[in-house]
Amino acid sequence: MIMKNPEVEFCGYCITHPSESKINFRIQTRGGIPAVEPFRKGLTDLMDVCHHMLSTFEASVKEYKAQKETEMD
Amino acid sequence: MAERGSLEEMRSRVVLGEFGVRHVHTTDFPGSYPGYTDAWDPVTFRQGFHVDVTHMDEGLLEFDLVGIDAAIANAFRRILLAEVPTMAVEKVFVYNNTSIVQDEILAHRLGLIPIQADPRLFEYRSQGDEEGTEIDTLQFQLKIKCSRNPRAAKESSDPNELYINHKVYSRHMTWVPLGNQADLFPDACFRPVHDDILIAQLRPGQEIDVLMHCVKGIGKDHAKFSPVATASYRLLPDITLVQPIEGEAAEKLKKCFSPGVIEIQDIKGKKVARVANARLDTFSREIFRHEELKNMVRLARVRNHYI
Repeated sequence: MIMKNPEVEFCGYCITHPSESKINFRIQTRGGIPAVEPFRKGLTDLMDVCHHMLSTFEASVKEYKAQKETEMD
Repeated sequence: MAERGSLEEMRSRVVLGEFGVRHVHTTDFPGSYPGYTDAWDPVTFRQGFHVDVTHMDEGLLEFDLVGIDAAIANAFRRILLAEVPTMAVEKVFVYNNTSIVQDEILAHRLGLIPIQADPRLFEYRSQGDEEGTEIDTLQFQLKIKCSRNPRAAKESSDPNELYINHKVYSRHMTWVPLGNQADLFPDACFRPVHDDILIAQLRPGQEIDVLMHCVKGIGKDHAKFSPVATASYRLLPDITLVQPIEGEAAEKLKKCFSPGVIEIQDIKGKKVARVANARLDTFSREIFRHEELKNMVRLARVRNHYI
């Protein structure tokens, strides 16, 4: 998500140790905006994506169930 | 036009060559290609994204996610395995166990039994709470004793006839309501998902009497809390015939792929092969073993269509 932001020049992450819940992020912007901005934007965009996916999925499941019922009848 | 065509291919397909897979990584980031703006745009995403449920029943759910990136699909898969909470047996109070199954082995086996209970109705157990209250614990009891069957025939050696209750199944587990659970869930029946899981085997005189506490947990903590048996995904296969294939070669081509993928049509007396349903294919790459057919087919996967 962060990579999709045109202001970001470099973005990478690594997990220091799998037992600890810690991720090292490195974000480098093209010099216009502070680096925290794309991070924040990326997180909010990701949240929006997940909400949209949830609603689409639920609609799709409902549709499938309705379709199954009409097939039964 | 040829360059545009192959660029499209590079952006949208993962191609399976003879000795390797090409164009694996997603490259649609801003600045990668002149003439393409790949900056994040929620509107384009919403237009391009949809979910189709192909199959759904008690034990299996299959659906298609079209229009998202590999990272997000994988994230959902991992979350399904590790972070969706379920209820499972955590503490086993052994009152009497005279079977040959050791206490800890029995406790381990009981923990792995899937329980039919909606985890949203319960809370997580707070740290350091040994007893467990009615909002976070489900109590089950397993009390069973094996005895000799007095009506068995003299010479029979079939344990099903000789002994009563010699196999302990998960259906022998009974729910014991705690506190006001009987009022809160009058219709709910909390039980193991499957009734025929064999827990232990007994012989006459042996007895198991245990009380089990189920708590809510996630798969990251212990695999018994994982709600799915497995969660996997694959990309939609895309098979294109570079040249039309006819006659004997068509029959051979059909055998190279999973059944139902290639269809032979009779056009003006000649047999012509056509890709009927690429989705069924499992990509065994059998086609690369045949010299003459190798170059006539292009095997690829659609990059953002996950099944």
